[in-house]
Amino acid sequence: MGNRSKFIWSRLAQMVLTLWIIATILFFIFRLMPGNPLVAYIDPTFTKEQQDILMAQFGLDKPLWMQYLIYLANLVQGELGDSFKFRAPVMEVIWGVLPNTLYLMLFSFVIAYLVGILGGVLLAWKRKTRFETIGIIATLFTRSAPQMWVGMIVLVIFSFHLNWFPSGGASATGVVYASEWEKLTSLSFLKHLFLPSLTAAIYLMGLPLLLMRSNMLDVMGESYVEVARMRGLSEQRIMLKYAARNAALPVVTAMAVGIGYALGGNVVIEMVFSWPGLGRLLVNAVSASDYALAQGAFILSAAVMVIMNFVADILYSFLDPRVTFGKGR
Amino acid sequence: MKKAAKWKYGLMATTVLLGTVLSACTSETQTQPKSTDTPKTEPADAKSREIRTLQILSRPQASAPDEYERANLIAGAMKELGINAEIKAMPYEQQSDIVWYKRDEWDMTGWQMAARPERLDPDEFVYNLFHSSTAKDGYNFIGYNNPEYDKIAEQQRITVDREERKNLIFKAQELIASDVAYLFNVHPKLKYVYNHQVFDPNSVVEMAGMGIRNIWTYLNAAPIGQQKNMVLNSNDSVQALNPFYISGSFDSWVTELIWDRLMRIDKDGLPKPWAAESVTWKTDTQIEIKLRANMKWHDGKPVTAEDVKFSYEAPLTGEVPMYKPFVEIIDKIDIKDPLTLEFTLKRPWAAFETASLSKLNLVPKHIWGPIIEDLKNKPENAESYQEKTPIGSGPFKYENWKFKEEVVLSANTEHFSPPKIEKWIMREIPNTEASLGMIENGEINFLAVFPGDGQLLQQKVEASPNLTMVTTTDLGFQFFAMNHRRPPFNDVAFRRALAAAVDRDMMAQVVYKGFAEPGDSVISPALPIWKNPSLPYPSGGVEEAKKILQEAGYEWDAAGKLLYPAGKKEELGK
Amino acid sequence: MNTDVRMEQRPVQVAYRKAGFLAVLGKNLAGAFRFLKNDPFSMTGAVIYLFFILIALFAPLLAPYDPHEMIKHNGKLAFNQPPSAEHWLGTTNMGRDIFSQLVYGAKPAMMVGLTAAFFVVVVGTLVGLFAGYYKGRVDGVLMRVTDIAFGIPFEPFVIVLVAFLGPSVWNIVLAMGLLLWRDTARVIRSQVLTVRERSFVEAAKISGASDLRILFVQVAPNILPLSFLYGSLAMGWAILTEAAVSFLGFGDPAMMSWGFMLNDAYASQALSREAYWWIIPPGIFIMLTVMAGFYIGRGSEEILYPRLKNQ
Repeated sequence: MGNRSKFIWSRLAQMVLTLWIIATILFFIFRLMPGNPLVAYIDPTFTKEQQDILMAQFGLDKPLWMQYLIYLANLVQGELGDSFKFRAPVMEVIWGVLPNTLYLMLFSFVIAYLVGILGGVLLAWKRKTRFETIGIIATLFTRSAPQMWVGMIVLVIFSFHLNWFPSGGASATGVVYASEWEKLTSLSFLKHLFLPSLTAAIYLMGLPLLLMRSNMLDVMGESYVEVARMRGLSEQRIMLKYAARNAALPVVTAMAVGIGYALGGNVVIEMVFSWPGLGRLLVNAVSASDYALAQGAFILSAAVMVIMNFVADILYSFLDPRVTFGKGR
Repeated sequence: MKKAAKWKYGLMATTVLLGTVLSACTSETQTQPKSTDTPKTEPADAKSREIRTLQILSRPQASAPDEYERANLIAGAMKELGINAEIKAMPYEQQSDIVWYKRDEWDMTGWQMAARPERLDPDEFVYNLFHSSTAKDGYNFIGYNNPEYDKIAEQQRITVDREERKNLIFKAQELIASDVAYLFNVHPKLKYVYNHQVFDPNSVVEMAGMGIRNIWTYLNAAPIGQQKNMVLNSNDSVQALNPFYISGSFDSWVTELIWDRLMRIDKDGLPKPWAAESVTWKTDTQIEIKLRANMKWHDGKPVTAEDVKFSYEAPLTGEVPMYKPFVEIIDKIDIKDPLTLEFTLKRPWAAFETASLSKLNLVPKHIWGPIIEDLKNKPENAESYQEKTPIGSGPFKYENWKFKEEVVLSANTEHFSPPKIEKWIMREIPNTEASLGMIENGEINFLAVFPGDGQLLQQKVEASPNLTMVTTTDLGFQFFAMNHRRPPFNDVAFRRALAAAVDRDMMAQVVYKGFAEPGDSVISPALPIWKNPSLPYPSGGVEEAKKILQEAGYEWDAAGKLLYPAGKKEELGK
Repeated sequence: MNTDVRMEQRPVQVAYRKAGFLAVLGKNLAGAFRFLKNDPFSMTGAVIYLFFILIALFAPLLAPYDPHEMIKHNGKLAFNQPPSAEHWLGTTNMGRDIFSQLVYGAKPAMMVGLTAAFFVVVVGTLVGLFAGYYKGRVDGVLMRVTDIAFGIPFEPFVIVLVAFLGPSVWNIVLAMGLLLWRDTARVIRSQVLTVRERSFVEAAKISGASDLRILFVQVAPNILPLSFLYGSLAMGWAILTEAAVSFLGFGDPAMMSWGFMLNDAYASQALSREAYWWIIPPGIFIMLTVMAGFYIGRGSEEILYPRLKNQ
């Protein structure tokens, strides 16, 4: 176990280093881009003096290295500066949409991984049949379709034509929830959540499904499954009790990484379904040249990705005995 | 193991295929430009007189399809004249960065002037856009410079007599038209839809140049069924709800309802007393204002002359920079009694009622006084202060704001002009298709912004038993600016030729599907009081354009390319 | 590990050691066509690619109109027309022929896809090769760089880059080249780690071959198929990314791509107009191209998640 804790510590150190470098890259990307960072906010009627005041207000009058140091110092304290557009702390603006992003992400992962794992078991079970071939082709289709295209089709069918679900937003008009919990458990919120989650899940489920299938096929070749078979257990029991359970573990690790990817990646879905989330905030910030906000949203997504990668590594080291903790990886 | 090798072969096979196409794809086929009319003999110095490829800046098709398509049509017309034009699409921020801050570096750019209530007075367009004093770093980014025009623009500012001022405005429009200061395109039609099962159609108010999406509709709209709330859409975020910050346009839809003003622009486009009971001009520079009695802030405290004075003086502290230009003309404000004030101006300003009295929000001193004092010692200003619950005295009270979702206001029943609806709810729907679906299925009952196809909207409305569409010619206008600092645009004949070649009727028909009026002035036809109906703006198509060019000495080379008149050379390279 | 099993090579390399890189490659190519006949999945993928390649090459012949031309009939603009004999898929709201756009869209799709795939393959393979072969400090540095690439969220990165550098598909390709080599690099590295222990590498070392020679002549040919597998996936990624970026309004207006068509249709409310002949075909074409990549890299489950299999 000494080796393992050493491994974890070294991974942790690497993670911090990675985060620092990413933060640095981001800082310079945003500062060195063409155009005055405040161009969208300086009214042409402003005098030079008024412009300078504005620059000073956002700390843009200081030399670049000083801005960088201030930025790093603030970052360590979780302080991301002020949004130019909303004239409010970036953290505050992001907190306003972060819960919705998380709900959408988690809900779509639950759907995708439930369907994916079950579908994977099913395909493995029906291996070498026409059903498997069709299943794989169908799965690849879901993984190849442009998300906005799927989203628009889903919207037209389930909302405009069938009228089963609302066509946008995260809550019914004028509703105020007393708490996040009340919001999460209200039918209206879940109804709003469903279509965007479905669209995201259609894309996401391909991975766990195919992964599960191949793991199942691997596991079914292992000796303990053979033994179980010889003991005369039913195929159904073998599939679920022995094979599926073991095959699912890597899928769970995949989910950790997938969540990292998904945090900044639902931009398109949020646009189609008017979902108030981080992705849309980022797009708005970028197209409005709100550097501070774009940078903040970006850093947050990057941090989540790095952390989830770390979690996946650690999880993996526990799950797979073949990982050694010697030199390198 | 056998399987493993097969894999490899499969991949190799595709690689070969892909390799072939990669090499094939790199050989670009270029379409040849259409040859124009057969030219005459070519002048000897043709090479040096050839006009360079002119660049047209435009927002990309994805974000501004109409601008991009108009750029296409203009480039097409230029091609027919033998001028090479290249469209450069870029996001708005980059475009405005070039246009505003690199004033010598662009040739042509797509631009627009949006409808705002204070622009119902012609002063802003006539003075700011074309007066030579704003050419360096102000709104006259095209660099138009005409001393005769400057005099008229200055004169109309201080002419308080309406008839006399109208003549000046007419004359100004004439000069802009014959000089072709702008390449005018169209005044789009504003298109709004409401649900007439929810609101009594007679209670919806159309405003000149602004359409039915205005405060008079919000105040007057009478619910006739169960639904007592007005639910409308926006397609971008509300940034701030702050009476001292001019932020996004959707913010202003909300702020004008929470905070009252001394005057408001009426549906005919002229300012009328609002929180003021009367506005009396004692002289050209002295105005007496009597407030309505018994007005209250949303927290119950009375509205006083002190509050009004504070609202007009706060911008001068430097903590409210955006409102400063509208109050700088005020010399002093005297309080005569708790409901009467006297404003003294430094000099006469014809647009004062529209641009200042109808513009500034009345703000409670007991809330903002301490905030402004506090801000004086801080680097931030009042723009970055967000009240938890904004307090105004307007016809609607703040109820809730869910970031990136919706803003909810409720009717202020104690207001002197109480709304008939119970709540005013603005939902943020960035997806145009979704907003169309929502007005059809009743999720919203007022379509307040629709950047899409007007013809389609009309079909949908006609097919629906619930919906009514009202179209109004926009106060704002769409145009292409030409940089007068750079040849060939410094030649009025060249500009006139371009103007004649651009088919504005076709733009209105093709790009806007008829939901636009061809434009020839900064003043919209929606404002008959100010619009000069007979302007000498060039038209007549490519033939006329060629004639204008010929008369001014321009020639064409053997390949049909346009050349500068003899004696002039291209100085700006290719 | 799983990929090891799959990718384990017969010792062809030993036999062709002296002849070197080209011979190994030639041998592989010779087997390629035999293989295609036997594997229906890869065959399908290859046929789809071939189909689009032909369309891309012969677009000017196949398309009845210029994709940008606003078509007029008797002086009146023919916009929003349903499919007809003249316009097989109707016209857009600006009177452009949709079928012609679809045909012309194959070329940018192939170009963008192939260049992106090329960058991903080249960068990923080189990083993987060096890291895996040299191990130690080189490996440490290269893998930290890979970690950083893994820490940057892709979609936001593309959006930021394209917003700042301007709406051009080449900026999308650039973004992919900067980030998406990461998966390839990791897989290739672990593959190289096993290949370098093989006897033929030992033999080459003993015979005094230089490191670079061993790397490119002995090791590289063995991992190239894996690189191309990633290339075929990257192609799909590039096309999907281009479509998404177009949709968000950062697309390249000069490029008549399928992503642009989808966005054009969306922006002009083709859905509400129920102009399915405008919306469905580009979507299907995008799907087919992306799927072709998957088919060619059948077994995509391992490829989609290299981290799990190749630590």
